[in-house]
Amino acid sequence: MLSSLKKISQTLLAKQQSGLIIVILLLAVILTALAGSHLDKTTGKTVNNFFNPHTLMQTATDASFFAVMAVGATMVIISGGIDLSIGSIYALCGVVTAMMLRHLNIDSPTACLLGIFASVGLGIICGMLNGLMVVGLEVHPFIITLGTMWIFRGIAFVMSKAESILVPGALTAFAKANLGLNPALYPVAMLVMIAVTAAGAFYLSKTVMGRHIYAVGGNAEASRYAGLHVKRITVSVFAISGLTAGIAAFMGSAYYGSASCGDATGYELYVIASAVVGGASLSGGRGNAVSAMLGAILIILIRQSIRTLHFDQNYEWIIIGAATIIAVVLDKLNAQLTLKKAMK
Amino acid sequence: MQQDCYLKFENITKRFPGVVAVDNVSIEIAKGSCHSLVGENGAGKSTLGKILAGIHQPDSGKIFIAGVEKRFRHAGEAFKAGIGMVHQELEFCENLSVAENLCLSDLPAGAGIVNKKQLYEKARQMLKVIGAEHIDVEKRLGLLTVANQQLVQIAEAVGRNAEILIFDEPTSSLSQSETENLFRLIDKLKRKSITCIYISHRLGEIFRLCETLTVLRDGKVIGTKNINEITEDKLVEMMIGRSFEAYFPKHIKSEKGPELLRVENLSSPGKFENVSFSLCAGQILGLAGLVGAGRTELAEAIFGLDKNIKGKIYLQGKEVNITTPSQALGCGIALVPEDRKRHGLVLSMNVAENICLSILEKISNFFKSIKKRKLLEFVDKYFNLLKIKAASPWVQTLSLSGGNQQKLVLAKSLATDCNILIVDEPTRGIDVGAKAEIHSLIDELAGKGKAVLLISSELPELINLATNILVFRQGKIAGSLARNEVTQQKVLRLMAGLRN
Repeated sequence: MLSSLKKISQTLLAKQQSGLIIVILLLAVILTALAGSHLDKTTGKTVNNFFNPHTLMQTATDASFFAVMAVGATMVIISGGIDLSIGSIYALCGVVTAMMLRHLNIDSPTACLLGIFASVGLGIICGMLNGLMVVGLEVHPFIITLGTMWIFRGIAFVMSKAESILVPGALTAFAKANLGLNPALYPVAMLVMIAVTAAGAFYLSKTVMGRHIYAVGGNAEASRYAGLHVKRITVSVFAISGLTAGIAAFMGSAYYGSASCGDATGYELYVIASAVVGGASLSGGRGNAVSAMLGAILIILIRQSIRTLHFDQNYEWIIIGAATIIAVVLDKLNAQLTLKKAMK
Repeated sequence: MQQDCYLKFENITKRFPGVVAVDNVSIEIAKGSCHSLVGENGAGKSTLGKILAGIHQPDSGKIFIAGVEKRFRHAGEAFKAGIGMVHQELEFCENLSVAENLCLSDLPAGAGIVNKKQLYEKARQMLKVIGAEHIDVEKRLGLLTVANQQLVQIAEAVGRNAEILIFDEPTSSLSQSETENLFRLIDKLKRKSITCIYISHRLGEIFRLCETLTVLRDGKVIGTKNINEITEDKLVEMMIGRSFEAYFPKHIKSEKGPELLRVENLSSPGKFENVSFSLCAGQILGLAGLVGAGRTELAEAIFGLDKNIKGKIYLQGKEVNITTPSQALGCGIALVPEDRKRHGLVLSMNVAENICLSILEKISNFFKSIKKRKLLEFVDKYFNLLKIKAASPWVQTLSLSGGNQQKLVLAKSLATDCNILIVDEPTRGIDVGAKAEIHSLIDELAGKGKAVLLISSELPELINLATNILVFRQGKIAGSLARNEVTQQKVLRLMAGLRN
């Protein structure tokens, strides 16, 4: 019994994610300790400023939009590519879906379903366009997606005439359903994050397609020699990246109640940072979905701590930037240590 | 050939930008035989193999297997048709497990989900076929030794029950006993009437294994022979188009000059310990030993690539503390590294820039802009000195054959005007013609008063060139042999840890 527990804890510790989880838990404990508390007027109890259901749920919700996209972006990064256009795909999907639903003038669960299909479908199309251009034009994905980053957002801008478009109430009702919890808690975004991460983790580690993504990122030439369809795999990872952007766009516009062409500006960098903090290597072949999600949570948590601890918010970017670099350096040192151990 | 022809190349031509790699080649090979493709580097052997394996598509010509014309659009189609290839360069996904690499093109799965148990079982079977059960299939491939990686590669090609197997220099990083295992495996395959195509520079292997052979030169067929109607001398002559004398040049006896380099009790934890020797101008000091005996590591330490060394290094009697390669170059030490593609050249840069990479500073003007005239002077000098064959100084290094690439690395080192030259496996994977040229060049350099430290795994090379041989074993010097007392057997015994 004791030995099996020891074994389990050892395998858990050996996992790449354990370091991230420890850091996240540590940060949460520190935050709880330093956050102070306030008096809840309705119940009359003292509540910790960080460790309370509302703040925790809000943090998870904030993280969910990044984390969902980070799962897709990680796949592109594992295959050796990069996708800078996800923020713009998010904006385009949100705007097109909102405009379509406005045009159809429906507000029912059907609208919700239609919205999901439209947003996800458009996301996949945008991602496939990226992939097809990378493969067909033989241009580095950094350049292609830098271009489409502007193009997609430009299309959203022209279509929406730079106006913010309201989405039907049914969508917001879905995104903010409390599922029987306290009426002011909205767990759907968090659940979507967990579901997407679980699906992504399964896809990457268990399916043939997923293993092929690692193979292409590890050594594209060897993969070609082994008869893999490298081009098809490249297109598919970009399509998945677009798909996750579509999911995030639907959740985001539904949650906030509107979509505009300025949504998710700069998200691509947060998302790439999440994947990299989660141990993905920009040279390809390394990374995983769960770590990408944890990376997103860590970044959001750092942002949250600036707010909770009443630091000057103007320092937010400096702190997040420094934290990203530190996280990657630590991960690198850890990888070197593991390698040394394995070589012995 | 009188035997029935099973595999037939008919007028195959393949052009790459600037070269005709394979020029109107027709070969017939009998079922269950081992046929060797022989020739200098750049002769088109590997390209021909890759055409058969579906990696390259011929510009014209046909391939027939058992009388049926075959056309492979990509490697996957050739696999399905029962063709496997063991590549010269280790082509792997180092981030994946051994098992995943072995089954990469055909991961055992149900409904798209990989079945780990089946995967490992299948991989173990494949390794068992070639007698390499000792390799852990769950281990990440990047963690294996090079020799084990090569075994995995062989298992990958052999284990899928191919009808035709192409071996492209399969023994380049195998030990003696592993090589012998491979030969026995190929014998076994032949008995199962599997047809083998064996590409190698090592003539001994060809005579050991093959029934028939085809000599290629500059992409053209020079001749196809039965193994019993040809001698080693004749074969070399066909390959390089000149006589055997060039294979091992007459050794120039050079005068022993003043001491240039002395190493005293040099150690690096886990790599080598207590290494001491002295190297004089005009001498070639050979370092013999198995792969991993610490020779390359010693070379890297002298060149300033190892920060953990203890002990003393003296240059012309003065103690020095070299911690970076640029310091080493400044002291007149140059290194020709073992892995030319990773450490020797910038393959994406052109030939001229590679030759002058270490001395760009010296050939630039006041504003640090490179003087083209000076650059071309150096390029001309080394093109002539080393007989480098390239279409122009501005072609990409990638397009050169292995032998010419190796000459570029040598040229780059010589351009630094060093007086101590460390060469690590200078003739690995290059053809006999280029080999002979590099041998005589090393000899000439010593004759001109340079001190050469020669690391080589080819004993004939060491014995013919070196004035002195130090034998390494597990990081220590196991013995030292002077030129007049050295024999292949003595070196081998020292390497293996036996007493003479």
